[in-house]
Amino acid sequence: MQMVELETAGIVKRFGTLVANDGIDLSVARGEVHAVMGENGAGKSTLMSILYGMQAPDEGSILLRGQEVRFRSAVDAIDHGMGMVHQAFKLFNSLTVWENVVYGREPRRGPALDRRAAIAQVGALAERFRLSVDPTARVGDLSVGVRQRVEILKALYRDARILILDEPTAVLTPQERDGLFDVIRTLKADQRTILFVTHKLHEVMAITDSVTVLRQGRVTERMATRDTTPAEIIRAMTGRVVNLTVDRKPATPGAAVLDVQGLTVGTGAKPVVDKLSFRLHAGEIVGIAGVAGNGQTELIEALTGLRRPDGGRVTLSGRDVTEADVEAHRAAGLAYVPEDRAVTGTARAASAADNLLMGYQRKAPFTEGLRLNAKAVAEHARRLIGRFGVKIADETVLVGTLSGGNLQKVVIARELTHQAPLLIAEQPTRGVDVGAIEFIHAELVAERDRGRAILLVSAELSEILALSDRILVMYEGRILADLPAGAADEDRLGLLMAGRTGQAA
Amino acid sequence: MDFISAFMVNSTVQAITPILLAALAGSLCARVGVFNIAMEGQLLIGAFCAVAGSHYTGSAAVGVAAALVGTVVFSLILAYGATVFRGDAVVICIGMNLLASGLTAYLLRQLFGVSGVFSDPNIAELAKIRIASIQSIPWLGWIVSRQTVLTYLSWALTALVAYVLYRTPMGLRLRGVGEDPEAAGTMGIDVRRYRVVTVLAAGALTGLGGAQLSLGTVGIFSEDMSAGRGWIAVVAVMLGRDNPLLAALACVLFGIADALSVKLQAQGLPNQLTDIVPYVVTLAALVISYRRKRGTRLA
Amino acid sequence: MTPRPSRLPALSLPAVPLAILIGVVLGGLLVLVSGGNPLDAYWRILVGSLAPANWPDTLNWAVPLVGMTIAAAIPLRGGMVNLGGDGQLAIGGFVAAVLPVMLPQILPEAIALPGPVLAALAILAAMLASGLYAALAALGEVRFGIPMLISSLLLSYPAIGVTSYFVGFPLRDTTTGLSQTAMIPEGARLMTISGPLNIGLLMIVAVAALVLYVDRRTVGGYELRMRGLNPRFTAYGGVKPGPQMLRTLFASGAIAGLVGAIIVLGSLYRFQDGALLSPGYTWSGLMAALLAGGEPLGAITAGLFFAALQTGGFAMQRETEIPRVLTMILQAIIILFLAMRHGVGRRG
Repeated sequence: MQMVELETAGIVKRFGTLVANDGIDLSVARGEVHAVMGENGAGKSTLMSILYGMQAPDEGSILLRGQEVRFRSAVDAIDHGMGMVHQAFKLFNSLTVWENVVYGREPRRGPALDRRAAIAQVGALAERFRLSVDPTARVGDLSVGVRQRVEILKALYRDARILILDEPTAVLTPQERDGLFDVIRTLKADQRTILFVTHKLHEVMAITDSVTVLRQGRVTERMATRDTTPAEIIRAMTGRVVNLTVDRKPATPGAAVLDVQGLTVGTGAKPVVDKLSFRLHAGEIVGIAGVAGNGQTELIEALTGLRRPDGGRVTLSGRDVTEADVEAHRAAGLAYVPEDRAVTGTARAASAADNLLMGYQRKAPFTEGLRLNAKAVAEHARRLIGRFGVKIADETVLVGTLSGGNLQKVVIARELTHQAPLLIAEQPTRGVDVGAIEFIHAELVAERDRGRAILLVSAELSEILALSDRILVMYEGRILADLPAGAADEDRLGLLMAGRTGQAA
Repeated sequence: MDFISAFMVNSTVQAITPILLAALAGSLCARVGVFNIAMEGQLLIGAFCAVAGSHYTGSAAVGVAAALVGTVVFSLILAYGATVFRGDAVVICIGMNLLASGLTAYLLRQLFGVSGVFSDPNIAELAKIRIASIQSIPWLGWIVSRQTVLTYLSWALTALVAYVLYRTPMGLRLRGVGEDPEAAGTMGIDVRRYRVVTVLAAGALTGLGGAQLSLGTVGIFSEDMSAGRGWIAVVAVMLGRDNPLLAALACVLFGIADALSVKLQAQGLPNQLTDIVPYVVTLAALVISYRRKRGTRLA
Repeated sequence: MTPRPSRLPALSLPAVPLAILIGVVLGGLLVLVSGGNPLDAYWRILVGSLAPANWPDTLNWAVPLVGMTIAAAIPLRGGMVNLGGDGQLAIGGFVAAVLPVMLPQILPEAIALPGPVLAALAILAAMLASGLYAALAALGEVRFGIPMLISSLLLSYPAIGVTSYFVGFPLRDTTTGLSQTAMIPEGARLMTISGPLNIGLLMIVAVAALVLYVDRRTVGGYELRMRGLNPRFTAYGGVKPGPQMLRTLFASGAIAGLVGAIIVLGSLYRFQDGALLSPGYTWSGLMAALLAGGEPLGAITAGLFFAALQTGGFAMQRETEIPRVLTMILQAIIILFLAMRHGVGRRG
């Protein structure tokens, strides 16, 4: 038995009535790669921020090499040898790699920064852990994978013994992911301990030594990776044998609603969206799968009019909307559930009625001439709140008070209600509770059955698989595969998303 | 080469000083993520305190010290308002500019019993330093010699601010705080403290600028005598992209525009028109410097 | 870890009285320290502005101040700041002063425009000119990305300089020793209601009503309000950000131009160098608008409050030795306190 590096006993964390962590016991051996798995909302992030000192637990204790510790802040945790690579990097893009790494603990010569020593130290550290990175490069110029290495370097520079990697592969290309795995092995060889937070099964199988599975704030399973199977882990994560499925009939696609021909965003030899073509028909859900950063965001911006494409043609319900702006897209028949409901999809300091109106404010019956029909707006809002079960006192309440799931219902309600022929849904269930997920999925399928064409973009493969009639896999700005739902499964999509057509076909 | 006389070069260098100091202050604040547009008011407070200090003691040095103390105290509003109290910096700065304007006018009447302009033989002005070895050199002598100590200091401070920002651990931390306060916080930096201290230091710089304004040529205070210089400094900060050296360069550009306006006036153009030359030049510089990229229309 | 607190559109009520109280206390201390009697000072302000006999004066002062408040509040409602009110005021006043004098000289004698038509033309021209000039600042942001806060302010200086040049030289009334234009023909002056009040008051009331209506009851008002809360949200909803900004600034500038025209046609009867700007309507109006976070009814109320304060300030200065800039200090303190309480307004 190896030495236990990190232990938690009965960690409890509550947010109001929500219990995010409900008595979590965790035991991590020195020098192992330990996966922490669970679906969204299972309590992984809360647990990690407690371990990293960003939040204090309401109950329970943390033991580091047998000693009880109480972190007052992240800095305190760092001083105890904790390191964390957040999913959203905390880097200064305008600064160089070495400046980012030594930030806050700079080597000095007299009053000045000892630039040469800093570069040498960072370079040596990078070499030792096989993190190939140029210490003098500007972080803003680096690819996502290299930036992640900078984050790891930051932790190692502060001599992290335990490194928390929060969904580290979500933003990586397959090559970068393989590189990360190499780094993890090097760290392991150096007796460093890795906490690997993820919900990707094949990665857990590939790189970890043991797994702790969380569901609804509790530990449901602890196992050694080599003694378990993906199916077992899924069962522990979901409490069901199979993954989230949605009851639905086969699709009956009609006429083409959206026709994309040779769409290009960006210039140069390798545009972000690279001469992409596809058709979307009435009455079908087409899912776009792909690792984040392969052009999905730019594709959606171009399709919704938020960004003007640099080439190609987009036809929506027979109208050429290539150069059109958002308003014209909406007029031609677009409804759009944006990726980030709080930043783009709503105005949090506005009432539900105001939020439910946006995008349709210049249409009858809401507007007569220039006058807004307040009664129609309020009635409309009340109807939607009722139909979509938004938990809100009435339509005059500000939506900033709503939970994530209810706020998303406001967005979904608004976009679905106008029966636009095309619906683009970006991450429609990100960060919402299970009940809301099921509701939203059912609504999307119902819309499809009413003859809407739906383009679904999601980082959750399970969501793509559960809803899509057809799946497009995006890789480096192109569509690598166009699969009917029956021909797709998680493994095959995973390979395609990694850009490997040969093995998947 | 009689486009600008040597004497005018001298007065241009002199005129740049308050703007330069304010621009340094603005650059520093921008570096820690506080959008300071209160320099107009800070200069005014500095100018008033300098005159008051100098008037009561007959010492220009005390005047400068009073300006320093006065503006630093005044800057507490922004330092704490924009950090601890989470106020909007733009609104706070607009309020500060009005407070400075009102307060100086009020005190001018209450302390010195005058309105509009206050000049008095008791006000000791800053001495012009003559550097004997340089003074005789044509041009350079006029630029480098016969300036107040604050003018020399302002250029030394420009170098110092740049050094601190780009060559010291503190500067690195400051730059990080401005770019991503949350990231800086996770690295153990007390963002709030860095901001407060920086804004107060910037206040001290504008205090020196105010002292130069009122004591640099003839010891005099007039209501709203900052007359847009603080705003020009804001533009210099923008043109310099928060880099103090580039901001200083922008100040020089403004100084040249100012000299041009004086020259045009000397040639008989009415001052109402020549006065706008510096503003037109800065606007043109902004238009040239900012170019909107085509792309996402959301931003 | 927590995001920036969302900026509220309007203030919770207790904050405003509290801010006024703090302003009054701090201002009183200042008066006390400088050897005055604060109670006496405040009593004079109160009587000087609110005694029935002084209402016309207060209202007369409120006309331009509330006008400039509305001019500032409109962009603020959409999260934008127009700092160029002085320039727009000067242009409006200048156009309104020059047109009634010049137009009859240019037109053939057969077309003799009646005075009220001349006045109406002057007002419309002033609004158009100032509106376009304000939109120019918006164009700076839309086209070049120069923050409008700065471009609007910087554009003020040339406007003030050029109008000042015209009244100082080519258009100067040489019969007087001052920098001012010739008198406007009597027929083109605004009708007097009573005492100092003229129909400019009614125009501002009408504008206030219109702005309130647009804000509460129209699509444009809704879109502007939403932009103020979240500009990404309105862009996502299909509102074109650039044109919206241009429209908003045009409206803001046009109202500033109207204020300039009302002052010129209603009380000065000519354009005098600096006379429009020295009372500081622009900045007081901006502060009133900030006080209410751009919400029009609150802004108008704040504008009236500031107008009363300033009118009372004149009385205070007459009756006591305390300078009336004290009222400006009070306004600044109120704004500063509120800004720190809630972060009113937003970056433009």
